[in-house]
Amino acid sequence: MSIRRIARDAVLTAAALTIFIVELQIPAPAPIPGVKLGLANIVTLVALFTLGPWDALAVLLCRVTLGAVFAGNMTALLYSLTGGLLALAVTVLTRKLLTERQIWVASVFAAMAHNLGQILAAVLVTSTPALFAWLPPLLVSGIVTGVFTGLAAQFAVGRLGKILRESNGK
Amino acid sequence: MIAVILLLSVAASLFLFLRPAAGNTAEIYVDGALYRRVELGKITAPERIEVRTERGVNVILAELGRIRVESADCPDQVCVEAGWLEASAAPIVCLPHRVVIKLTGETSLDAEAG
Repeated sequence: MSIRRIARDAVLTAAALTIFIVELQIPAPAPIPGVKLGLANIVTLVALFTLGPWDALAVLLCRVTLGAVFAGNMTALLYSLTGGLLALAVTVLTRKLLTERQIWVASVFAAMAHNLGQILAAVLVTSTPALFAWLPPLLVSGIVTGVFTGLAAQFAVGRLGKILRESNGK
Repeated sequence: MIAVILLLSVAASLFLFLRPAAGNTAEIYVDGALYRRVELGKITAPERIEVRTERGVNVILAELGRIRVESADCPDQVCVEAGWLEASAAPIVCLPHRVVIKLTGETSLDAEAG
């Protein structure tokens, strides 16, 4: 891994962490376990669409792990990680079918995968299948926030895409 | 496709949260195991139940026909903000402490039958 690549991914991770910490200050819009705006995912999407899956994965893992440490909520790590990885996997698969003007679509699918992943983790951890009852309201919020973060990522890719891709060197 | 899933989720949410009482018995689970069963219909005076685990403390308040988490030392406070559970099929969850409170009708049916 080149120093250039490490530095660039570190800058993206820092941006994602900053967004994550700022978002912590915003109270949850509804008392539904696991509901978030998920603004930090904008950075994951930008990394994926401009740099590819491995850089996106690196940024995601660093952000989720450091985010849990900074937020002092290590138990949330498991849910964020399961949701985040599933979301990234789904985005990697849908990316091939979509253009840069449809990033918001990928984002919605990613959000739904995230919700499914975090509920699955919660059901497994607490061995309480009744938690699936929270999936529908979580999906509603996920779809709405997914459109929002996806559009934000789309605009960001439009403006930063060239710079980020050029940072690959060559 | 997204619109279809959105509509289905909205419908399912409304169904889950607005349908009449799931039952009058509250079950408190810790780590997936039944910790306490409370007959909400037979409570005469409000009862405080402290659930202590190595992960933390949840103070649960049971009243006639309803139950809530009064306070908890978990970081997100989602369980406290969830408020009263009286008719919803969606359980109160404290993920950090792995505590779940849900309503069931099973015991009250048994009680009526017996």
